[in-house]
Amino acid sequence: MIKLQSVSHWYGQVIGVNDVTCTIGPGVTALLGMNGAGKTTMMRLITGQIRANTGSVRVLGHDPFANPEVYRLLGYCPDVDAFYETMTGREFVTLMARLAGFSAPEAKRRADEAIDRVGMADRADRRLAGYSKGMRQRIKLAQAMIHDPRIILLDEPLNGLDPGGRREFILLLRHLADEGKLILVSSHILFEVEQMTRSILLLHRGRLRATGDLRVIRELIDRHPHRIRIETPHPRALAARLVEWPFVLSVSLEAGGEALEIQTREPDRFYGSLPELVEQGLVILGLSSPDNNLESVFRYLVEA
Amino acid sequence: MIARVLFLHALRDFLRFRRVLAWVLVIAGVAVAGWVWAGLMGEMAPTDVYARLSSILTFRVLPLAAAVFATAVVGQEVEQKTIVYLLTRPVGRPTLLLSRAAAATVVVFAIGAACALTVAAAAGFRSGVAGSLGQDLVALAVGSLAYVSLFLVVSLLLNRAMVVCLLYAFGWETSVGNMPGDLYHLAVSSYLSAIGSKPAPTSGNPMLDLLSGQLGLNLITPQRAWTVLGVLIVVCLVFGTRWFATHEYVPREDAE
Repeated sequence: MIKLQSVSHWYGQVIGVNDVTCTIGPGVTALLGMNGAGKTTMMRLITGQIRANTGSVRVLGHDPFANPEVYRLLGYCPDVDAFYETMTGREFVTLMARLAGFSAPEAKRRADEAIDRVGMADRADRRLAGYSKGMRQRIKLAQAMIHDPRIILLDEPLNGLDPGGRREFILLLRHLADEGKLILVSSHILFEVEQMTRSILLLHRGRLRATGDLRVIRELIDRHPHRIRIETPHPRALAARLVEWPFVLSVSLEAGGEALEIQTREPDRFYGSLPELVEQGLVILGLSSPDNNLESVFRYLVEA
Repeated sequence: MIARVLFLHALRDFLRFRRVLAWVLVIAGVAVAGWVWAGLMGEMAPTDVYARLSSILTFRVLPLAAAVFATAVVGQEVEQKTIVYLLTRPVGRPTLLLSRAAAATVVVFAIGAACALTVAAAAGFRSGVAGSLGQDLVALAVGSLAYVSLFLVVSLLLNRAMVVCLLYAFGWETSVGNMPGDLYHLAVSSYLSAIGSKPAPTSGNPMLDLLSGQLGLNLITPQRAWTVLGVLIVVCLVFGTRWFATHEYVPREDAE
């Protein structure tokens, strides 16, 4: 339904996206990438706000640039936190419905329904200027769904949402996907994306690094040694115990600090074995993994 | 229907309380200046007093208002990053642009008309003034459309266009009437003065003549003024809609 063929777009001398080719079909697809990876540029290309400098973008077979036919079938929740601040949430969503071509009564009905769906019914008559970030996100989502589009693009939609809001949002996404809609969600948080979908597009520095099932990418990552940093007041004693474990590949002490770093190919087994150490009286003050972030995912993918 | 929704939305935005208050203060300033000047021109015929005040005040405020509102048609939406909501709706870009430009024109005309009425009140509303006021209202209507169309094109072509438009409004339009030769053909105000009320060629007061742009020649006939302004409006609107429909408008820092 959405097809990008060798698409590149640059802002002056800065590349937004570089030679991206992909096809996105119904269901939830996550566009994953760090800040500056080109996610918003890709969203803007698909929503026809900008044109590809090279290559072609097709949405349901049409060129989306300034194309009202495409906008009838597409809802967009932008990443920018901008509104007509003097309007109320309900007025804003109703205006968006009117601009989608609905009559005043129909626009009002749809606005009420969409506002209710995003859990803003009790706060929709307050001015947008007084809304929290989470409330603004919900209103943006409501306006994106107002005309029941076949395609919904959500640019960093979970920003500012509280845990309850995130859970509701993810449920809503699944419900929309079950209705057969194509949903493209961008995010820079791997953990967030894993809860939404397994289908991903991985962008890094404007290039599409991987597409497909997130589990496959996870497995690819797991083939590489996983680093874990352990804070302890007895780093040498702990290191002596850890080297005995067959799934620990290396142990290194941090110079002058009360911490050590290990490498393992079986992080789950490692974490599962940690309580044994505590039972033996070894003190562990903190655990962290430098590899549990998107940067390391990209590093693995590039190396792979 | 969508055009009407866009028009009313833009109108509501342009008529926000703070904006209205600012323009009420401008009109109050015009009123004060009008009363003071009218007092100083006591010997002149009321129609001439009105025509001079009109060219010094009303037709100076008109391009100022047009510069402010025409550049807000697209520029304000880009600046406040709300343009994304308008551009991703099933609305043709020409409809979007023309609806908002129409709202800007109405507001500019309303400001111009308020100034004209204030000036007419300062001139005393005596015989002949009402006729001149009627003529000026017609000139203000076409002038609003001409300035908005012109400044709209500038705002579509340039970033931070308001500075350029204000320089044009205060610099070129103000001084060209006093320039020698045929340069007056290059100012909208010259054509508007051919349609609107005309002050007597000289008042005997060089400063007053300078302020009202009466030092140069203006041989433009009303017929020619209508033709030129009509062509200017059509060309600017056609070019502007074409440009807007084919170019990218994304929030500024994201585009840089």
